[in-house]
Amino acid sequence: MSDIFPKWTNRLPLQVLIGAVLIGTAVTAGVWYYFTPKYLRVGYQPVQPVPFSHAVHVDQLGVDCRYCHDDVEKSWYSNVPSASTCMNCHNQVLSEDPRLAIVRESFETGESIPWVQIHKTPDYVYFNHSVHVNRGVSCIECHGPIHKMEEVYHAKPLSMAFCLECHRNPEKRLRHPKDVTNLAMEIDPEQQLKMGQQFVHDWKVNASQNCSACHR
Amino acid sequence: MKNRISNSDSNAPLGPRYWRGLDELAETREFREWVANEFPGGASELTADPVTRRHFMKIMSASFLFAGLGLTGCRRPEHKILPFGDMPEFYVHGVPKYYATSLPTRTGAIPLVVEANDGRPTKVEGNALHPSSNGGTDHFAQASILNLYDPDRAMAFKNQGDEVANEAAFRHLASVAEKLAANQGEGLRILAEGSTSPSRLRLQRQLQQNYPNAKWHQFDPIDFDVDRRAASALFGKAVRPYYKFDQAQVVLSLDSDFLGMEEDLPRHTAGFARLRKMEKPSDGLNRLYVVEALMTVTGANADHRLRVAPSSIPQIASQFAGLLLEEITVREEFTNEWISECARDLQAHAGKCLVVAGHRQPAEVHQLAHAINAVLGNAGQTVEYLPVEVPEVSGLAELIQDLNRGVVETLVILDGNPAYTVPPHLGWAEAAGQAGEIIRVGYYEDETYEQSTWHFPAAHYLESWGDARTSDGTWVPVQPLIAPLFNGVTELEVLARLLGSSTTDPYDIVRETLKAKAEGLFEAVWGKFLHDGYLAESAQQPVEVKPGLEATKKAAANIASPANPSAGRLDVVVHRSYSLDDGRYNNNGWLQELADPITKITWENVIQISPATAKEAGVHYVDDEDMHLMVPWAKLEANGRSIEGPVWIQPGLADNTVAVALGYGRTRTGRVGKGSGHNAYPLRTTASSHLATGAKLTHTGRDYELACVQAHWAMEGRPVIREANLQQFREKPDFVKGMDLPHPPSTQPLYPNPLDWRQEKAVHQWGMVIDLNSCTGCNACVIACQSENNVPIVGKDQVRRSREMHWLRIDRYFAGDAEDPQVVNQPMLCQHCEAAPCENVCPVNATVHDAQGLNLMVYNRCVGTRYCSNNCPYKVRRFNFFDYNRRPLDELYKTPILSQTDGEWELKRWIKNPSKGSLPEGEWQLSKMVSNPDVSVRMRGVMEKCTFCIQRIEQAKIAQKVKAGASGEVEIPDGKVKTACQQACPAEAIHFGNVADPDSNVSKQKEQARNYTVLEFLATKPRLTYLARVRNPNPAMPDYRETPLTVQEYTQAHGNPFETHHGSHDGNGHGSSASGSHDGHPTESSNGKGAH
Repeated sequence: MSDIFPKWTNRLPLQVLIGAVLIGTAVTAGVWYYFTPKYLRVGYQPVQPVPFSHAVHVDQLGVDCRYCHDDVEKSWYSNVPSASTCMNCHNQVLSEDPRLAIVRESFETGESIPWVQIHKTPDYVYFNHSVHVNRGVSCIECHGPIHKMEEVYHAKPLSMAFCLECHRNPEKRLRHPKDVTNLAMEIDPEQQLKMGQQFVHDWKVNASQNCSACHR
Repeated sequence: MKNRISNSDSNAPLGPRYWRGLDELAETREFREWVANEFPGGASELTADPVTRRHFMKIMSASFLFAGLGLTGCRRPEHKILPFGDMPEFYVHGVPKYYATSLPTRTGAIPLVVEANDGRPTKVEGNALHPSSNGGTDHFAQASILNLYDPDRAMAFKNQGDEVANEAAFRHLASVAEKLAANQGEGLRILAEGSTSPSRLRLQRQLQQNYPNAKWHQFDPIDFDVDRRAASALFGKAVRPYYKFDQAQVVLSLDSDFLGMEEDLPRHTAGFARLRKMEKPSDGLNRLYVVEALMTVTGANADHRLRVAPSSIPQIASQFAGLLLEEITVREEFTNEWISECARDLQAHAGKCLVVAGHRQPAEVHQLAHAINAVLGNAGQTVEYLPVEVPEVSGLAELIQDLNRGVVETLVILDGNPAYTVPPHLGWAEAAGQAGEIIRVGYYEDETYEQSTWHFPAAHYLESWGDARTSDGTWVPVQPLIAPLFNGVTELEVLARLLGSSTTDPYDIVRETLKAKAEGLFEAVWGKFLHDGYLAESAQQPVEVKPGLEATKKAAANIASPANPSAGRLDVVVHRSYSLDDGRYNNNGWLQELADPITKITWENVIQISPATAKEAGVHYVDDEDMHLMVPWAKLEANGRSIEGPVWIQPGLADNTVAVALGYGRTRTGRVGKGSGHNAYPLRTTASSHLATGAKLTHTGRDYELACVQAHWAMEGRPVIREANLQQFREKPDFVKGMDLPHPPSTQPLYPNPLDWRQEKAVHQWGMVIDLNSCTGCNACVIACQSENNVPIVGKDQVRRSREMHWLRIDRYFAGDAEDPQVVNQPMLCQHCEAAPCENVCPVNATVHDAQGLNLMVYNRCVGTRYCSNNCPYKVRRFNFFDYNRRPLDELYKTPILSQTDGEWELKRWIKNPSKGSLPEGEWQLSKMVSNPDVSVRMRGVMEKCTFCIQRIEQAKIAQKVKAGASGEVEIPDGKVKTACQQACPAEAIHFGNVADPDSNVSKQKEQARNYTVLEFLATKPRLTYLARVRNPNPAMPDYRETPLTVQEYTQAHGNPFETHHGSHDGNGHGSSASGSHDGHPTESSNGKGAH
């Protein structure tokens, strides 16, 4: 009988156990890192129907964010502008440019330009733009250096941990509402903290960390 | 094994006690078990037989395997953002818009403000700007929005059942108009329902002028116009009464359910409730006397209620007339002290009292009521008479005559469903067959559709331009919020086309009508009319009236003598349904699932009989081992016709009387209404549309299971509702404290409550107060909550298993003996306990507190253990046993994996779009349009409950912070946040606000002496408290009781709360005060029984 199972099989249960622990750890670690928005979402940069450059419009030409995203101060959503907004300038500037053919067509026919959505919160999250921009949270806090982007990409993870980080320490990021769309503004971290603490106190900023802030 | 429960077998003394249903009163073993079960009736079983849990697991594991093989979800789906090509002006994506409009009713309209999200109407609210509205609505108005998105509504123009283009239909109308113009309307008959639209009146007049040979017939299955006709006949001029309940200190209702089944309910409720509000004990209260046969919402709110057979109400009216009008001598003498004392009270309040008669009563009763009001000097005070323009219309009988004579070439039916609602002895079906052609404008392809040659889909009122007049005569617009979804047409357009008019757009028609009325710059008037939702100063001025003596005498002489019903010759009342009206809301799921305010039965109408009559007839309920509520199925014969239905023993109903609601038992309706209830219309006759006498009820030997929410979540007779008589309240204003039960020995929590320190961080602390003295139990809040919070309906079968999802329910308790009980209502919703028992037991922290004192439900954390629901003492948590939002309700138990929808396998559909569920595409597209985008639609397996409308709170906070900007003005002004139930409540019984602000309305309400907490001894510290109810009985009345009946049970167990030494001590002295109370009121129960 002893020939049937060689001697090394005695160690088999231990090996299996160690292997299972190792594999389990690897899987857990893998999911922990790879299944997070930080890995899956950051860097997402789909090809858009119109090669719109924020860098040109904002950084070079100095167009304010709210010229196009005009409802961001009033609504849940920061609206993607309608073709008519583009045509306000582009009926003069680059009015024959083939890259803008789809915009002109949309303006004429009313057919929407199919922009690809990049930033997205889950259905059960109720995020409101207006309350953030009116209370001194700049666009760059969530969208990154969007004024430098040739093509928009997902710059920050926008996970719940990301939201909570700021809700726990709003003073690190608050600025005066008039500077919210001043994306190029550079603030020294120490000065930011001092300024932020002042704002939190003066404006009674109470960034909720309760579930009810976003889920209902 | 079957156990029988009947009243006869319980020899225990039926003293006055709290009870919720007859089986609870009977104290059966089954009921004990029912109470002990958290979700009774098998509610906690996952699936029904024969599919067992194991079988389900087998199938599911296979399906997971398949899902895994498909490797779905490996790619992130690409979503598109589709902006407008050209942005519409004033459009802001994500910000709802509000438009003023109104819901036209038969004799008035309910002014509304409707919310539209991205172009789809989602929520109906009352228009508080309107001069006679406080912003309250009724449940019909709240639920009307669901009809807009009904997948079973008529969607196409049809000729002989074939779909045609709308142009073809209009061409046909034009050719009819041409013919009519040539022969002056020969052969044209129009059948319409009552309406107050000035534009329709104008077109109607024009039609009668252009087509003198045509005839206009009016038929309302529920005829509220009887009051107007009676007043006009009595006063000799065209007037209609306008009741002002807010001026009436004493109200006598002669079978008038003005808080329930009558029209103009929000305004009546608001007026009545205004005089029920108390801030301090010295405040006065109005007093309500009700004479009625049915147990109604108004009867439930009565201070004195006289329960009489329905056929004897006219006689009682004449007895009142004999007492109060000098010139009337009553044929027979009477000795009823109830009537004479009530009459004395009316006389004592001359000019400040009001007598109203209900629409079920004949015109004579209304005339006597008006005559009494005039003599007592109430006319001009508590009731005004407004001039009314009545065009010449004929009735239904003439139409049927003409049809049978064969002279009708074109019959135009404007809405209404005569094939279902016309009394059968008139022979509508045969008569309709004689018409040359029938053109019907209808919202559903229903019974009448089958008889129509042409069928035009009607537009919903939220898709229509129109106008109406509210009961005070004010002009209100009917303004569309959305273009007709299915090309529906309005009455106005059809009439205009029938006239061959060049203006056929209802928008232009309404403007033209208003032009004749408006003064000043028209566009400005028009703009304000639409914006405010009413035309300023357009209310009618009351006219002087004097009753004609002859007319009064004639009315008194024409009073029919009572039928003196007996067990073999029953009186039958067929009445408007609280839920479905006359059947027009038959396919509305919200209303079908709305429990009747008295019987608490859903999805069904029942044959109601009184307990004594039931005993005499040998009818009793049967309860089988699985706690199914089985009732006998019986046959009811009257007027040579019979109907069958389940029998319901209804406390408070008159003896030898049967009541059946209309609107059910449709032979052709949508998927929701199909198979609900039985049709009571066959019992009607034209002579007496609401009362049949000499009826017989026979048991068929069969039993039937009802879907009733009545006996669930019973509260075991604790002082859940507290009340006192006015006198007692004045003597001991803090009586509610005396009713607190002893706390358990140690109420010190093991751990400090995290809210104690957390709440210091929040600006607002939310709290609510519900005034039980104002609440009438009308159900408007229940539907408002359902509409606001995307609460699904679950279907009859699931309600039978106690799985209804209403976040807010109205508990209705009976007290006293079963024959003539007192009734109390209590809206019950999540109490938002500061020390919430549900939170401690949740293993995944899915229900937690936030800093504002709200008990939160975090859906995305919930795993569905239902521990929280088990631990909730208020039984207000609701569990999603199924995906009610995306499964057809009759296919909840079907395995989704192995079935097809729209010819496609479910699994494939799920891969393509996981949110769609197994609803057919069209139904899915429509049904999701009604949802509030600010509230998550919950999926299967999660718990849910009232959130205090957290979406509204957050919206208000955000709006305030946006306004504050770089400043510290973050506190929301008082009154800015209104919960949906509060907004809908016509009685203004619900107060909500920031309890951290001592000046807020809600804080002031909580300071009232009547403020109490339900189950306070559990130390859950709810944020929702109630204001105790105060009754105002008349000591001179024979049925006067010194203590409300609900208090008497409490007194027996715990002592008399009105004794002065009670209340100052907690717990120890209960025994002694209890014995004292027995000495104090030894005869209360026998008093109660002796009243009838």
